Amino acid sequence: MDVKRTISDLQDFYSLSLHGLLGIAGRPFYFKDALLQMDYAGAGSVVIVVIVDLFVGMALSLQLAAELSSLGLKMYIGMIVGISVVRELGPVVTALVFTGRVGAGMASELGSMALGHQVDTIRVFGLDPVKKLVTPRIVSSLIMLPALTVIGVAVSLLGGYYIAVFVSHQSGTVYWTSIRNILTVENVLAGASKPFIFAYLISSICCYMGLSTRGGSVGLRQATTRAVVMSIVMIIVADFVLTRMLLYVLGFSV
Amino acid sequence: MIRFEEVNFAYGARSVLRSVSLSVGFHERVAVLGGSGEGKTTILKLILGLIRPDTGSIIIDGDDITRRSESELRETRMKFSIVFQEGALFDSLDVKENVAFCLREYTDMSEDEINARVRHILASVGVEQALELMPEELSGGMHRRVSIARSLALDTPRMFLYDEPTTGLDPVNADNICGLIAELSKNGKGFIMVTHKVSDALKVADRFIFLRNGSLLFDGNRHELLNSDHPDIMIFINEVCIQGPSGA
Repeated sequence: MDVKRTISDLQDFYSLSLHGLLGIAGRPFYFKDALLQMDYAGAGSVVIVVIVDLFVGMALSLQLAAELSSLGLKMYIGMIVGISVVRELGPVVTALVFTGRVGAGMASELGSMALGHQVDTIRVFGLDPVKKLVTPRIVSSLIMLPALTVIGVAVSLLGGYYIAVFVSHQSGTVYWTSIRNILTVENVLAGASKPFIFAYLISSICCYMGLSTRGGSVGLRQATTRAVVMSIVMIIVADFVLTRMLLYVLGFSV
Repeated sequence: MIRFEEVNFAYGARSVLRSVSLSVGFHERVAVLGGSGEGKTTILKLILGLIRPDTGSIIIDGDDITRRSESELRETRMKFSIVFQEGALFDSLDVKENVAFCLREYTDMSEDEINARVRHILASVGVEQALELMPEELSGGMHRRVSIARSLALDTPRMFLYDEPTTGLDPVNADNICGLIAELSKNGKGFIMVTHKVSDALKVADRFIFLRNGSLLFDGNRHELLNSDHPDIMIFINEVCIQGPSGA
């Protein structure tokens, strides 16, 4: 492992991710670019997020029904599904789907631009490629991933409801009452803060990997794979760290 | 004035340029010749600050740009306009938006004014019919022409840089591109054209620089080039003798 190269790459990554984020605050603003990215990242991802989160909610509810019925505790399905989905599964699963669809797209698009000298062309035109290409993608991710997470959580809860009521024959009223009871400020904050961190991580990692693509089509494949793998690993690690921090900050005892 | 002083550059372990020193005026019409991998394109990238030399200095208009930051390089880059080998058009934008790119970034022109300017520029390079096409719908020759049109959008560049502008084109299209390059240089703006085709270089350039193994092998005018007895240069000249130098 080339330590010097690794440190240099990390420096470049931190510089790009910070510069990309700070680009939100200064002129010029690339509103149109950000809107196009939001359309691709948000509207284009709704269907897949709905499908994945629906089945995650249904599978979770099914597993819980199987275990809790033997204990005579099936009335707790709603509560456990609600806590799991709102705090943990909703944000993480949606972020993973977002990585696979949007993150991979960012890395391959920017990689292709880098290989085709389009990024160099932007630099020659006297423009800042980070501001022009990275900042709109960070902005769109920071807006659309939380929005998709809200949709994903809602759909997961609906999936859980379907299994609890129509398969496990529980009362729908009990299910929704349990859900309403767990929607406390603490639980909602614990789940709602994560998508912003995940969005920043995914967009920064995927943009960096894309812009640093070298070596033709093989290099593009490697850059896209690295972007997706790194993003997934960082989502899982960040999720643990965030969960630990949030439980402490929000006063949960473990 | 562009000045290279003892410039060395390597891609990893592969040395590309070795102690290259040269001076080029903004008004000059220069062709950089040499085989593949001899560092021709590297010279253009170094001029624009897209890569940095390992040692040596690059001085543009008296300013040493060798260690300048990205933001400090912007002013220097605006003095040039480059046409990359494959055109490097933005593939998510149509031809009109590619040519209008800089106009939207740097001017307050209205939509009507931008439309008129884009049509005028495209007409001047002979591809006005391509206005609404996407880059992937263009032929190789049209691609280069649109790329040249994009480089003409702003009046700020003082010099054009062409990276293998005729590579991959049929003889007719290559000849048209050479004619366009020659035409554009008539307004006093010079160019540096990187190419391995001596026949194309002879059609447009007045000064010829020949690179061999990363070093400057030859720097002279048309007469000196055609009468060189260096075996490496003679191989390239023979190509012209076989094809017939239309501009020589």
